[in-house]
Amino acid sequence: MAFVKRQAPDDLTITQDKRENERDFQGLLLELNSPDVTVRRWAVRDLMQIPESSPFLVTRLGFEENISVRAGILNSLAHLGDNVAIAGLVSCLRSEDAALRNEAIDVLKEVPDKVEPIMSNLLTDLDSDVRIFAVNILESLRHYNVEQWLIEVIEKDPHINVCATALDLLSEVGTEKSIPALTQLKARFEDEPYICFSTDLALKRIIEGS
Amino acid sequence: MKHILIIDDAATVRLYHRNILEAAGYSVDEAINGIEALEKALVKPYDLYIVDVNMPKLDGYGFLKEFRLQENIKQAPAIMVTTEAGANDRTLGYAAGANLYLTKPIKPNELVAYVRLLLGDLS
Repeated sequence: MAFVKRQAPDDLTITQDKRENERDFQGLLLELNSPDVTVRRWAVRDLMQIPESSPFLVTRLGFEENISVRAGILNSLAHLGDNVAIAGLVSCLRSEDAALRNEAIDVLKEVPDKVEPIMSNLLTDLDSDVRIFAVNILESLRHYNVEQWLIEVIEKDPHINVCATALDLLSEVGTEKSIPALTQLKARFEDEPYICFSTDLALKRIIEGS
Repeated sequence: MKHILIIDDAATVRLYHRNILEAAGYSVDEAINGIEALEKALVKPYDLYIVDVNMPKLDGYGFLKEFRLQENIKQAPAIMVTTEAGANDRTLGYAAGANLYLTKPIKPNELVAYVRLLLGDLS
């Protein structure tokens, strides 16, 4: 906030000039597709207040190349939080652009109530990479069910890297409740040095911390 | 002794790789994302970098692209280590500047063999 305020005099002069159309829905949609980055950034910010804007923001996200506008779209979608907006954020998890994926993960971490209804589906997605990213979302998701979701992943997921990612997190947040699943995981991947190493680490932390 | 920087946001992964490489006789430092790694590398250049892909703030691709622009350090080899095993992921890794692209989890002897290969430490 302090950063924004320090820049306010210059920024306001420039950005007010860039808010060219009416700040109604149609005007903002026009500006969302402006060739001017600053105009688009303002449009994205203002569209956050209009519930009907989610499909248009998701569409723009598909080809927006400017990083700051893209970040603004992700934040606006998280703020809107309707089904279309959340689906748009989730679609970023399938992107080949690692930066976009990470930005989407960071934004989704901030909206636990919106993520909760879809988390089970994400954790059982057919694409193992999406399942890994879903576990990444759990990392900072302040939600009571995080440990249980992670336990289910290491109990059921057949993919070693999905389990390994869940294991990394369980070694931080796991309690005694996780011990049977951790023991079972180590037995399931007994020939994998990394799994053996990290289950031992997680079990040690849980037992010493209890 | 040669110095290696492990760049990964997962503490367990960093510790696993550190244990393996220290046992093989290397000195190891850690960074939790690409930004921290660049800052460390510019202060103290490393002989080799082990880079995860998905990290907050600056991912592995971004780190390598930026790293390869830094005149004083850009020659050092880098191993990209990731969960993504698709052909396109590999292509992106090599395009960003990785010398080698490995899929997690990595067996200890495999990691040491590749590190020795890239550092010219094979006897």
